[in-house]
Amino acid sequence: MTLDPPPPRCIACSIFRREIESLQASGALDLAVDYLPSMLHMVPDRLDTRLAASLTEAGAQGQEVLIAFGDCCGHMEDFRAKPGIDRTEGINCCEIILGREAYRRLRREGAFFLMPEWALSWRQVFMSQLGLLGTNAKTFMQEMHTRLIYLDTGIQPVPWQALNEASEYLGLPVEVLPVSLDPLLASLREAARSARRHDDR
Amino acid sequence: MDRNYSRDLLEAIQKADRAGANAVVDAWAMGRSFHRVIPELLAPTLETFGKLWAQGTGGVSLATGYVASKVAEDVLSRLLLESASRETPALPAKGPVLVGNVEDDFHPLGRKMVAAFLRAAGWEVHDLGVDIGPAQFVDMAEETGARVIGASAMMFTTAKNVAKLRDEIDRRGLRGRLQLAVGGAVFKLRPELVEAFGGDGTAASAAEAPALFERLWQQALTFEPAPGGMRP
Repeated sequence: MTLDPPPPRCIACSIFRREIESLQASGALDLAVDYLPSMLHMVPDRLDTRLAASLTEAGAQGQEVLIAFGDCCGHMEDFRAKPGIDRTEGINCCEIILGREAYRRLRREGAFFLMPEWALSWRQVFMSQLGLLGTNAKTFMQEMHTRLIYLDTGIQPVPWQALNEASEYLGLPVEVLPVSLDPLLASLREAARSARRHDDR
Repeated sequence: MDRNYSRDLLEAIQKADRAGANAVVDAWAMGRSFHRVIPELLAPTLETFGKLWAQGTGGVSLATGYVASKVAEDVLSRLLLESASRETPALPAKGPVLVGNVEDDFHPLGRKMVAAFLRAAGWEVHDLGVDIGPAQFVDMAEETGARVIGASAMMFTTAKNVAKLRDEIDRRGLRGRLQLAVGGAVFKLRPELVEAFGGDGTAASAAEAPALFERLWQQALTFEPAPGGMRP
């Protein structure tokens, strides 16, 4: 008798925490998940180091690993290429949530996306991490983008106060775009399957 | 004691204080020809800033890099305005060169900063924008006579598309005559990718792009002299 292999371990960006927990609670996803702080996105070499350590630890336990991240650090694709490891498809969390075509179309239109977690920590991102203070914040954002789009995954109430404050500070209008969790779920499932296929090769 | 304008300008940039930086430029220009501002004040200050940026020291952040590029644009705009009224060229003509984000890359900041620093250094820059395919880059290079393409990519996934641009340049028999400068976060984190994806060179910061383009332009000329009138 052969036993089914255990589900892969998932190492995810905390930007997906509530969404993944919702999928787990609904029974759609059966994965053990460890989260790394989403603010590591701002320091890619530190994300590289933390992720490498997590993967080494999982590898030592013989686990297949699904990385729920975009291409957010310099060695992400090297990690992905290792046997027993795969990653969710998409350049970043927004593309993973939106799917490639919607992401590309909205980026071409100049959208700057806010995932729910980052919508609440926009001050940390723009002021502390990027150093965009005073008029520089508006000038910078208006030069690079046309509007903010909050990706409403439906897990928590839309944080209107935070969004309005970010919109005012950054000098861009804000839109709320309801999004389904289906692309995230499909991406997680495909990466989990693919991590296994790696082992079959 | 004489004021150290370059130090004051650098300090204003390091504080991301665009208005303060322009005030230093204004103070420097009192009693001097504004035409001298780039070689005598802006270029040496940006060179120092670029070194600090490349070293990751001196309080350089995204905001300070952005402000440095805006100060360069501000100075250039004033210079062009003044030159137009005097009917004299603002800067020696160099180029043309191209910059753009490679296919699937939608992060314009680095590219825009490179374009600003290049223009302030006298280069004629054609900025193609984001998500530019290999054929678009090379078509435009052939159309304009550009000898250097600056291709920007932020992540490994998009940096792989630099290799497609390399292939397109080579497929059209332009290797050497058309040089490929590459830049973006992933190349800074992993410099080995410059060669792996077929780049001819990179710079550690946007402020150092003019020196890189100068070197690559000269390199391109060793393959085939430029037609009359097109040289740095």
